[in-house]
Amino acid sequence: MAKLTHLGELERAVMDHLWSAPEPQTVRQVHDALSARRDLAYTTVMTVLQRLAKKNLVLQHRDDRAHRYAPVHGRDELVAGLMVDALDQVADSGGRHAALVNFVERVGADEADALRQALAELEAKHRIFPTAGGPTAN
Amino acid sequence: MSALAFTIVAVLLVGPVPALLARATWPMRAPRAAVVLWQAIAVAAVLSAFSAGIAIASRLLVPGPDGRPTATIAGEIAQLGWPLWLTYLAVLALTLLIGARLVIAALRVAITTRRRRAHHRMLVDLLGISHDSVGARACPPAAQRRRHHWWPNDLRVLEVAQPLAYCLPGVRSRVVVSKGALNTLSDTEVTAILTHEFAHLRARHDLVLEAFTAAHAAFPRLVRSASALDAVRLLIELLADDAAVRAAGPTPLARALVACAAGPTPSGALAAGGPTTVLRVRRLSGRPNSLTLSVAAYLAAAAVLVLPTVALAVPWLTELHRLFLA
Repeated sequence: MAKLTHLGELERAVMDHLWSAPEPQTVRQVHDALSARRDLAYTTVMTVLQRLAKKNLVLQHRDDRAHRYAPVHGRDELVAGLMVDALDQVADSGGRHAALVNFVERVGADEADALRQALAELEAKHRIFPTAGGPTAN
Repeated sequence: MSALAFTIVAVLLVGPVPALLARATWPMRAPRAAVVLWQAIAVAAVLSAFSAGIAIASRLLVPGPDGRPTATIAGEIAQLGWPLWLTYLAVLALTLLIGARLVIAALRVAITTRRRRAHHRMLVDLLGISHDSVGARACPPAAQRRRHHWWPNDLRVLEVAQPLAYCLPGVRSRVVVSKGALNTLSDTEVTAILTHEFAHLRARHDLVLEAFTAAHAAFPRLVRSASALDAVRLLIELLADDAAVRAAGPTPLARALVACAAGPTPSGALAAGGPTTVLRVRRLSGRPNSLTLSVAAYLAAAAVLVLPTVALAVPWLTELHRLFLA
């Protein structure tokens, strides 16, 4: 388990480096950048890059002398993709797969007004009977 | 006779009973018992449907003159006549088909859900800001002390301006909140969100949801199973809301709900919420949960499961017992 988290952390560090790099990086370049802050074997970096390539997160460019790696998607692009996946899944009524559970679904303008009104009623009620509220933190 | 009784019970449990329960408002005040009642109805419906099919089909294998079952299904054609024999055979085939559809749907939902979840979790782990930098600030000290056993490992913060939160259930579960939520909401409101999400994860609400999703996928033409899925989906949200109210109080939870639901939608995503969100906020200023309703619902759930079993299955099993051991 500890090893897995460690590997996950390494993957994050490698991706962060690739995202910030201006051009595709060789294993050597990634290793140099990362080993400045931690003790790291060259082969470990290679393994991590291969894992990331298998997950379709980085692309391997075949150069004359060495393999170069570049991220397939930008960071913002991936985050946006996550958001679409997270928020759209109730909307695709064809395959309502409960992959994740939202805190609350986004609503349209009409329902947003109704929501704010319901909240105002609740707040008014608790101003009149402040003890009716639950325990407040801090 | 038992075949007819099973059929009537199955039809009732698939049609009018879920329709009535989905329209009722009392489950909002006894969400836990209502979830149990929904599950009892679903299990009883499936069991009676199978029992009806098998009871009818068992006419195909009746005792011969020597008291032993006839060897083949075709052996009863002369006795029953072609029309009746074909009807019985069709019922048996239909029963097997429904069973196969259920199993296939359950497997497909389980596989698709887990694959999508694993992919999402992989990306969240990669893109989420590490909990160390935000964890201490995001969670008030009191809440941190109370929930330190789950706090650090499962939380991921995404670099998104809109306030939002969700959880990825499963063995390696995650709670995901946006930086927007942490920045715009107060500590108590964040506590309400996190308590809500971890209540989902702890109680494995996803398994309940998955079962009803599978039932819905297996019988797409039965509109009623959609109402069951929607009803259960709302009820598990209410259960998690109740946990959040206990930890943070109703007003912070309501503020967090409104902030996350009525805020701007990230580009590319749709506004999917319906009137249930308004129901959840209104419920927080409504009457509290009722113990009487809960007890009544639990009793109803037990009755739905036990009464048909005793009244129908026992005589039928006795018959079966006689058939094979006579």
